[in-house]
Amino acid sequence: MSSTTSTTVAEVKHPTLFNRLVPSVVSGIVLGIIGAVIAGVLINKITTALSPDSVPNDDAVTVAAYLGWLLFFFIGIGAFNGIIKWGFNRHEATPAEELELAGKDQGLWRYFRYTTDHKVVGMQYLFTVLVLFFLGSMGAFMIRLEQSRPGAIFFDPSTYNTIVGMHGMLMIATTIVMVSGPFGNFILPIMIGARDMAFPRLNALSYWLLFSAIPIFLSTLFLGGFPTGWTGYAPLSVQELTPGMDAYCFLILVFATSTTVAAMNIVTTVLVMRTKGMTWGRLPIFVWGVVLSVILSLTAFPSFIVSQIMVLMDRVFNTSFFLAASGGSGWLYEHLFWFMGHPEVYVIALPAMAAAAEVTAVFSRKPLFGYRVMVSGLIGICVLSVLVWGHHLYTSGSENALAAPYMLDTELISIPTGLFFLGMIGTLWRGKIWVTVPLLFVVGMLVNFVIGGITGIYLADLPTDEILHGGMFVTAHFHFTLVGSMVFGFFAGFYYWFPKMVGKRLNPMLGTLHFWLFEVGFVGTFGALFYAGLQGEPRWSANVAPPFATANTIASLFAVLIAASVFVGAYNVIYTLVRGEPADADEWGAKTLEWTVPTPVPLENFEGELPVVTSLPYNYGASLPEPVTSAAEITGAITQAPMQTQGQE
Amino acid sequence: MSEPNIEGNAGNASTAPAEPRHMRRAIIIWIVLSVVLIAIWLAVSQFILPQDASSLGAGDNFTFNVFTVLSIPVAMFVFVFLAYSLLVFRTRGRPTEDGIPLQPRLSLQVGWLGITSLLCLFLVIWGLFAFYQETSAAATPNTLVVQVTAQQWQWTFNYPQYNAASNGAQVIELPVNRPVIFYVTSDDVLHGFAIQALGVRVDANPGEVTTTAVVTPTQIGSYTVRCVELCGLLHSYMWESVKVVSTDSFNSWIQSQGGHL
Repeated sequence: MSSTTSTTVAEVKHPTLFNRLVPSVVSGIVLGIIGAVIAGVLINKITTALSPDSVPNDDAVTVAAYLGWLLFFFIGIGAFNGIIKWGFNRHEATPAEELELAGKDQGLWRYFRYTTDHKVVGMQYLFTVLVLFFLGSMGAFMIRLEQSRPGAIFFDPSTYNTIVGMHGMLMIATTIVMVSGPFGNFILPIMIGARDMAFPRLNALSYWLLFSAIPIFLSTLFLGGFPTGWTGYAPLSVQELTPGMDAYCFLILVFATSTTVAAMNIVTTVLVMRTKGMTWGRLPIFVWGVVLSVILSLTAFPSFIVSQIMVLMDRVFNTSFFLAASGGSGWLYEHLFWFMGHPEVYVIALPAMAAAAEVTAVFSRKPLFGYRVMVSGLIGICVLSVLVWGHHLYTSGSENALAAPYMLDTELISIPTGLFFLGMIGTLWRGKIWVTVPLLFVVGMLVNFVIGGITGIYLADLPTDEILHGGMFVTAHFHFTLVGSMVFGFFAGFYYWFPKMVGKRLNPMLGTLHFWLFEVGFVGTFGALFYAGLQGEPRWSANVAPPFATANTIASLFAVLIAASVFVGAYNVIYTLVRGEPADADEWGAKTLEWTVPTPVPLENFEGELPVVTSLPYNYGASLPEPVTSAAEITGAITQAPMQTQGQE
Repeated sequence: MSEPNIEGNAGNASTAPAEPRHMRRAIIIWIVLSVVLIAIWLAVSQFILPQDASSLGAGDNFTFNVFTVLSIPVAMFVFVFLAYSLLVFRTRGRPTEDGIPLQPRLSLQVGWLGITSLLCLFLVIWGLFAFYQETSAAATPNTLVVQVTAQQWQWTFNYPQYNAASNGAQVIELPVNRPVIFYVTSDDVLHGFAIQALGVRVDANPGEVTTTAVVTPTQIGSYTVRCVELCGLLHSYMWESVKVVSTDSFNSWIQSQGGHL
């Protein structure tokens, strides 16, 4: 707003309070609320006037208020200023203006504005992810509290269902962005030797779309909540009378748009912004993981958006996509939802697995064991996972002729996952292993991933799924994969890159405590729930039936350890932010490009020329004295063209 | 398996004479632990696995056991090599030198791919055979037909062959050793019809009638019908008892429900 004097930005100026606040997140929220109220009142009047018995359409009012919030929030935060200044063919943005947009000389305040610098966006994502994880884990502890004893003891079933749904939605959304958001934005461009993302303004848009979805999500608390769990199955979601359900649907529209924007940006960045010599065969594996993940999300999320638009149509305009009485079908929703829903867990998995691989190579002081094999594994997972969604419909009662191909494809994924494990174990084997907090989390991830992966086999296979589908076994299984494996992978990356991103050292003692409390509590909690599931406990039980009481009590007791780990982790982050000692530029002795730049990273990442890459960033052991590696093939492979001689698939 | 390739690749012959045979040790630990754990599993599985009170349940539990016996060595392989690496190859503090830059040989890659593919194909083929064996039994005139209607938040059961209905009874009965098939539908939203002990599970869809496999209860006892798809407010209260009883008891019960033989 109000910055028509675009020519003399470089001059020293003391920003007034107004100039600081406008445009920023503060003006965005103020305008957004005003916009929501205006739109809501307007649609309220219109629908009352149109309705024969003068009753406003609550769903239409709610959706209109969300649209008003979105539009005016983005006006307030200055998302459209660029169009006004440089759009319509006026003139190109000057370099000085670009730097101003990227947050030059704006101090900490740049984190609260529509800032285009990828490092600012990465930090915004990181702290948003941490806060959302904290909120989501509180939901988890409320669930464990309620399930600690039989009967409805703390919450009534309606509150309980809303807590379960909010916990699920919050955690799924957060895990989708937890690696690609913070590290994909902050670390990835430096890793490939770029000065910024390909579309810096889209980058800011993707973060602020995520941010603007949070109030929409929380508003469901004041609108009656939603009873459907995070899956939002259709006849129930259409039947639900309270407008809290609209919050769920609209949240997904905004969130999926945000991830789509971010995904396009990351793919383009890796396609065109790699520095000289950064060939596909020299990309750090983390970049591969993020790129494959966002490509997968680009194929999966459209059907998510479509499904929620259809639910909103059913709710607002009384269409009948999913109402059997009027010719619709709930199976349609299940297919649309799981076409997103299962690839989405691999959207979460791929970057977390790749981050763990990165960490493993650094702390074993060894090149990745078969870089090409591991990358092929990730690609294999990415390709196969597009077609596995049908296993969520094994017991749906629809025609089961397709069950066999779904089952084949689901179990085929264990093959590329096996390649990943081969690489991880081989990298650790005979390394010089430096046991740090990031590596501890990788180890926890591998252990939990084995358990999560193997229990997945029982669910993927038709005869055993018959007795487990829809039960607690499923809940325990996907917590082992999503939390035990992927969130542990996130924390590996978090402890690994935090010194680079924030410039301070996290306390390793507290980090170790965080890990052990988390791992022991986690295995105990969900191990007990596996048992409850085998005994037949259904999911989503507000009221634990007496036969499952013991297992649930044990699970809840172990969850106390997870709760303790959350607070230890949070304390560690806050303490480090306030008092932490400064970190080195190359904190761990890693060789990827992000550790070659100073900490804190300068505005355009690389001072002077961009680096030129000549090999993979895992050339550990290349400098070993000749006699030690008497095996000629090893030295040959390393010194001439790393990994080039291996794996000709 | 093909792990020795890793060691062969390391060139262990002349590098470090005092170096213990890591690979051999790890493999021995792996084999011993796998055998022990498989034995333990076979001993305790009956206390962990679901109750099997029907023709289907027994088959499902057998499959469960087969998969577990196969998975234990796979899991132990990862656990043992992970633990061994961390305990034996760890350095005190920050390492001052690099590890040996091992790379997998082609034979290791192919061997690994081959073994995982075989395991995977075995799971698929076994699963398909077991599934079609379970679902292939066709309904005969003797098969008891039970129509199940789900609604928020209760079950209604009809026995069309007897013109009887459960009429809101909290307990329904089934005769032992007689095949039964369930026709399941819903009046409002999606529900999930499951009797875990009988190995029966299918969704109740509004506007559709879905069927379970033909199942023969084999043990007299009391079991539970549960809803396994989230169906709104009182989802977790939506359960009822199923009693499997002798044919005589069933006949008198069905008459008390207004049916005639």
